[in-house]
Amino acid sequence: MKNFFSRRASHEELEDRELVALAKADAEAFGELYARYVKKMYSYIYHRTGNIQDAEDLTAKVFIRAYSHIGDYVDRGVPFQAWLYRIAHNLVANWHRDQARRKIIALDDYVAHSLQSEAPERLAEDSEERDQLMQAVRRLPEERQQLLLLKFIEQMSNAQIGEIMGRTEGAIKSLYHRTLLALRDDMPRSPEADQQRLDGTEV
Amino acid sequence: MTSSSEIQTQDALDAVASGIQAGDDFGELMGRADSPASDAGELASVIQALRGALTSVEPRPEFVESLRAELVEGRPGVVERVQQMPLRISLAAALALVAGCLLFFMRRLFDSDAPQEIQEEAVATPL
Repeated sequence: MKNFFSRRASHEELEDRELVALAKADAEAFGELYARYVKKMYSYIYHRTGNIQDAEDLTAKVFIRAYSHIGDYVDRGVPFQAWLYRIAHNLVANWHRDQARRKIIALDDYVAHSLQSEAPERLAEDSEERDQLMQAVRRLPEERQQLLLLKFIEQMSNAQIGEIMGRTEGAIKSLYHRTLLALRDDMPRSPEADQQRLDGTEV
Repeated sequence: MTSSSEIQTQDALDAVASGIQAGDDFGELMGRADSPASDAGELASVIQALRGALTSVEPRPEFVESLRAELVEGRPGVVERVQQMPLRISLAAALALVAGCLLFFMRRLFDSDAPQEIQEEAVATPL
């Protein structure tokens, strides 16, 4: 027992790269990687799917896939979490394709309903504006949604986002700008803002 | 091709986004932002709204514990549930199996009939 706890404590002190090397033969090392990233993966997937059930299923799939392929993982200088985010992104993309095929309910209605019914789970204030914004975010192409989630939820820098999305820092900055423009144009505007735009009086 | 004013706007928005994320005062940030774009203010408002809407969501502790136990200790639970085939896939697999068996038996039946027919024809035409 003492051995188990001391091994777990020593794992906590290791860097991701060292843990990945150990995890190829040591389940506890993978357990430490799991502990470090499960919340991030869940949060990312939850925002991409909009409901708890699918977020849990897909989070489980991310770690099952990572665990079963950790032996093939090659360290190319990209952070381990970038690999996890790519797995998550691919699984979510497949999930969206399946959802689109089923077409039981329109995604926006589904998301709006899910977000309302799961309001206690969320930390942000429930408001009409926020719902409109979230719906506008979900109408964006997948890569733009991914960019916003990594930037605002994971608070990553453009360089880190670039590593995950396989793009340069400059390309991320440019994509971010285009995403903001698309969101602004998709959001309902107040009459004052429209007038300001026409007058060119805004900052 | 990105123009220099666009790059300047992108840099300004990036700085505003970083400031908002760090909790800096919005008005002050906008005052500091050096952007030639007339719509920088609107975009900064979008950034502020995004910051309020996109917040981290925590998974259920039971889920986190259960999945860890399954991955590390090999206990059954979420992994089994996730790996179970959906009903429609199970049905499709069963149908494919039945169709395969039928095809196999029909081919065997016809294959065993074919030489007999040839033999009968050969007997009927004595040349």
